[in-house]
Amino acid sequence: MQREPRNEAASVTGVAPAAATATAAAPPRNSPPLPPGITTTGVVTLDDPLISCRGVDVFYGEKQAIKNVSIDIARKQVLAMIGPSGCGKSTFLRCLNRMNDTIPGARVSGLIQIDGNDIHDKRRDVVQLRARVGMVFQKPNPFPKSIFENVAYGPRIHGLAGDRAELDEIVSTSLRRAGLWDEVKDRLNQPGTSLSGGQQQRLCIARTIAVNPEVILMDEPCSALDPIATARIEDLMDELRESYAIVIVTHSMQQAARVSQRTAYFHLGDLIEVGSTDKIFTNPSHKLTEDYITGRFG
Amino acid sequence: MSVDIEGHISRAFDGALSSLHMRVVEMGGLALLQVRDAGEAYTDWSTAMAQAVLERERRLNALDQAVDEDSLSLIALRQPVASDLRTVIAMSRIVAELERAGDEAKKISLTVLGRAGRSGERPGSATARDARHLARLAANLLRMSLDALDTLDFELARKVVAGDRELDDEYADGLRRLLTRAMEDARHFNVALDAAFVLKSLERIGDHARNIARIVLSIAREGEAAPISQQPAATR
Repeated sequence: MQREPRNEAASVTGVAPAAATATAAAPPRNSPPLPPGITTTGVVTLDDPLISCRGVDVFYGEKQAIKNVSIDIARKQVLAMIGPSGCGKSTFLRCLNRMNDTIPGARVSGLIQIDGNDIHDKRRDVVQLRARVGMVFQKPNPFPKSIFENVAYGPRIHGLAGDRAELDEIVSTSLRRAGLWDEVKDRLNQPGTSLSGGQQQRLCIARTIAVNPEVILMDEPCSALDPIATARIEDLMDELRESYAIVIVTHSMQQAARVSQRTAYFHLGDLIEVGSTDKIFTNPSHKLTEDYITGRFG
Repeated sequence: MSVDIEGHISRAFDGALSSLHMRVVEMGGLALLQVRDAGEAYTDWSTAMAQAVLERERRLNALDQAVDEDSLSLIALRQPVASDLRTVIAMSRIVAELERAGDEAKKISLTVLGRAGRSGERPGSATARDARHLARLAANLLRMSLDALDTLDFELARKVVAGDRELDDEYADGLRRLLTRAMEDARHFNVALDAAFVLKSLERIGDHARNIARIVLSIAREGEAAPISQQPAATR
């Protein structure tokens, strides 16, 4: 069919259409300019973003896993990254706290800044960065220590607590925020590994938020959990986004639709489309996005 | 962007969506038959035909319900999104329009049968001619809207929307002529009142065809937006 002119083009593409240039849509505040050659459809730049990525490339040896990705990530919002296996979404997630540094042969280039600070800055302490940008993994990975120690470990090494009372306070607040306190308050000295899978995952979330991060990265946090434990984590994410930016990689499109406000679709290392979750799931702009979410891929 | 009903990895999903689509098209065919026969029953004053319309009305309602149930279970079991979701919602809205078009056909048939407090008298030849003209226009619009649905022909759907405006004008003209005749010959006022209701029903059928065409257009709704790099650089 013929494409009709769309008058809401500005909201769809994140930039003003040609006709609107006279009225000059203001460029987004505190958002660096986009490099050339962006092929992404949708709203890439945001006003006053927490994280800005510009022209990010990732190579594993000769193989390019991420191609010229630019995106802004908002404060206090959940961004879901979806796409078929091997599309680069986890690789991209791991760029945000420099986890790819630990992989031999991995090279990351391009600009990634948090609150205007380049995370690749030589003066930057990676350990500090990973405290600001916490991460929750697919399989719950509590330390082989007590529940209390699991949560207290981070604040201790970062010197966040002055004395034992303050540390107790941080641990109980974090466990409360992770929705785990009532279930574990009487057995804080038992090993973290004694908890159920869903509880262990919430313990890992408590451990992450104990060090006051700004961003929580989640790499398929529910794929090893049953539907009830999954629902608890999703509910928790909804509460946590009042304080943190959350970026989640998920294979469950229903989960992306339920928990996120913004969705990014990756395909073979390209960021194909990014936009409000509502728009992506009711009326995506790109054919590849449409084919993937409706299950017509391949 | 063209819309494909099929092409999912899950062929069972393809099957469920296209059988829903087929059922709606089938119901459309039945509704069209109802509209044609009701119009003819009135203009040719055939009680047998009017009776047949009333008998088929039940099948139309049953199909309406079946499509509703199919759409609900498809949504519950398959969680359609994007164009799939728009298609399922569109189908259940379209059957509601078809059901109402069928209701108008039923009202016309009841007039012929002299039920529903109507006069049960045959219209004069001038009135019958006006009604025949409107009935043809309305049935034609309905057929076009169903063709647009069947082949997802968005161009045709736009023609239906335009065609309904023409029908509205014809309705206004026919009604004016009818009132003129009624004032000249007040003895047949009852018949004229019946005729006014019939003309109104035919006009409403055109509205339902237009609504169906609009719903078909809502399935398309979207073109592929150009990537940001192909948009005017000054705006970045």
